[in-house]
This record gives sequence, structure tokens and C-alpha cells, in this order.
Amino acid sequence: MENTFEHYIEGRPDFALLTVKIPSGQTLKVEASAMATMDTNLKMKTKMKGGFGRLFTGESIFINDFTAENGAAEIKIAPSAPGDLIHYPLNGSETLYLQSSAFVASAPSVTVNSKWQGFKGFFSGAGLFLAQCTGSGDLWFNSFGGVIEIDVKDSYVVDTGNIVAFTGNLSYTVTRFGGYKSLFFSGEGLVCRFQGEGKVWIQTRKIGPLTSWAHPFRPEGKN
Amino acid sequence: MEVKIEKGPGAAAAKVTLQAGEVLTAESGAMIAMSDDLSVETTTHKKNSRGIMKAIKRAISGESFFMNHFTAGPQGGTVYLGSTLPGDMFTYELNGDKLIVQAGSYVGSAHDVNVEFNWQGFKSLFSGESAFWLGVSGKGTVILNSFGAIYSVEVDGDYIVDTGHIVAFQETLNFSIGTAGSSWINSYFGGEGLICRFRGKGTVWCQSHNDNAFGSALTPSLKTR
Repeated sequence: MENTFEHYIEGRPDFALLTVKIPSGQTLKVEASAMATMDTNLKMKTKMKGGFGRLFTGESIFINDFTAENGAAEIKIAPSAPGDLIHYPLNGSETLYLQSSAFVASAPSVTVNSKWQGFKGFFSGAGLFLAQCTGSGDLWFNSFGGVIEIDVKDSYVVDTGNIVAFTGNLSYTVTRFGGYKSLFFSGEGLVCRFQGEGKVWIQTRKIGPLTSWAHPFRPEGKN
Repeated sequence: MEVKIEKGPGAAAAKVTLQAGEVLTAESGAMIAMSDDLSVETTTHKKNSRGIMKAIKRAISGESFFMNHFTAGPQGGTVYLGSTLPGDMFTYELNGDKLIVQAGSYVGSAHDVNVEFNWQGFKSLFSGESAFWLGVSGKGTVILNSFGAIYSVEVDGDYIVDTGHIVAFQETLNFSIGTAGSSWINSYFGGEGLICRFRGKGTVWCQSHNDNAFGSALTPSLKTR
């Protein structure tokens, strides 16, 4: 089938590593810097000016094209954060939103657009930048920590920092958590309230609290 | 209240299923996701009770000053709780007994579980490690997390555990904090921090890794503040 790649994922759920076999003459889109190993007949192309091959989603997410020349080739792809990888083939009629650093790889037929969340995203502090994925073909995304898939039937609330991906048939609003006291003292910041029927993938860890934890271990500056 | 640990041991999260009207208390910041119709209240202490001294003790202990209380609506609901560092989680059913928990290991508990903030203080100050303990007692489920894997040790007699590796222990054990070496200087240069000497009969839950040791190992690679 076109735009479907033979692939396998090892090391789940803590240290997932993706291997994709690219048939001769075909191309795979890969998050920049995620390539770990590859065959020598894969040619990497980075387009400099906002072409298909490169996207800017507000968090410097760049995408490179890897094309197999003169025969099939294999590439191993390792996202930067330790965590899980999910394979999600898009069927052509649906939309999937990814938290922008979650994009790992896709078939060239999948269109990835940045979607500026504007005012809503601004308040989150977590930078709720989303990548909108449409088209048909293979798509892979990753998490920090484990991924839990939630079937939203009516509505569900997710901490903005724990969102990995969600289906386009859900509507969402970013709101504060609990009452006013909770906004300042609950430690939760803002949450995303999803409504409708669809799927949300959440991650069991967040980058923000980890960096806050590491902060006291930074050496003192010389003042 | 039903608790299921998912994605352990590397990046565990707790899925808590609440019946209508049930209350889950959780460390502030632990909520990952939840049902929309849960009501949330943030307090400085146990819901429906006052106790400012306890709240202050909580602030001193380095544990968050605030706790979130999730109350399920008429349909019941679910809450997912996570933690900061990579590691596992486990649950313990209290039935009138008591656990002493390293402050950073507490994730959440059923409403009828009482969380008190004991400060074992002065001796611990020397260690540079924040060895603060919570007393967790009453009846119901407690959710605890570890940095790395969790293993339990059944103590019968005497046993020594590095304070940085303790997650929790049963209160039936007596304990005293001391140095691994024969003197403070000896201990400091030996690289072993403080140790906890347990005596009696009971369970100690340990974590495979010491978060302070890991943080200190990162220091040379981190930018100055």
C-alpha cells in the first residue's frame, strides 16, 4: 500500500526506538535530529525556505526528508526524550493534532501544519503549540514517559503539559484548574478541556517539573 | 476507590477510579488528567478540617503546602496521577496501621487516610539531604512513588538503609538516623550520606536510585543560576 511503511518499534514503553524500511525511490519525513542510524544510500534533504520538507511550528520543529536511492534502505529514529512511540496511520479524512514536539516521522503524503494557539496558548506557559496532521499515510509520534490512550465520550480534562495528541473531532478549551485558589496553589497551572467524542493520548511525565526539580542542583553563579 | 498502576516501572502513573461522591487527596501538581465532572478543591490541609500548624509544617518539610481534593460527581469518575522523576508507583492498603513516608514519595490517598507532617529535623540538617517524613495512617489506599524501581525489605532485627533510598516503612519499626562511617568526617569523605538504622519487625520500601545523588551528578553539566 502506498504511503505505508514496513516498520517496528523496540524498547517500549520507556525507551522506544523506531525502525522504518524505506523502499527504493521513496521518501520519509523525519523530525530533525531524531535520526540515530541509517543505511548509506539514504539521502537527507532539508529545504531552507518553508517548503513541504520543512516546518516551523513555533518550537523549532524542523522536518528532514530521507529518500532511498538505488535500493531500499533502513533508518532508526530515536526521539530526544525517553518515552513511548505510537504509530497512527491517517486515513485521509481525519485530522490529528500533535503537541508540536511529539512529531517523529510520517509518510510524505501526510501534511504537517503548525497551528498557533494564540491567546489561549500564551497563558498556558507550557507553550501549547500544536502541529496539525492531515492526509493519508503513516504517522508516528512520541511522548516523555508512558502514553495512555483515553477514549473521550463526552468530555475529559488534561493538564496542558501532559497532552501528546488528540483527534480532530474533539473540540477543546484551555481553562484554569479548579477555583481561583487552585489557580495559584494547586500546582496544576492550566488544563485543556476536551469535548465531543474522540481520542486523547496523554504522557505520564512532563518536562517542566523535571527542569524545576533540577534547578536547585545548578551551580551558584559568581556574583 | 480503585487504583491501577500503569506504565510502570519506568514512568508509572496511577489511574484512580472513584465511585460517586468519593474523594481522592493528591499532592499538588500530581494530576495528569481527569473526568470533567469532578469537583476540585485546593486546601492547605485535609478537606473539611483546619490545621494551620500542620500546613506550616508541610511547607517546612519541602512537601507542597497545598493538597488537591478531587470529589467524584454522581456518575463517579477517574483521575490520573503522575510524578516528576522516572520511576515506579505502588499502593498500600492501610487498615488502622501507619506508614512513615519520605515526603517526596507521597502521591495521593483516600479521604479517610490521615497525612501528618512530622519533622524529624535537626539531625537531618547535617546531611544536606532533605530527610523529612510524613506519617500516613487511618484506613484506605495510599499511592507512593519512587525514583527508579521499588523493592521491599522485610526487617527482622537490625537493618541499615541509606536515607536517600527510603520510600516508606512501617511504623512498627524503630529507627535512628546516623552516619555510615564511624565519624562525620569519615562519612562525608566516604560519599555515603546519612543512613537509617531500623530495629524491630516490619517492611521498608526502598528505591533503586537516590534523587539527590542523581541531581548532584548533574551539577557539573548544568548552567549556573
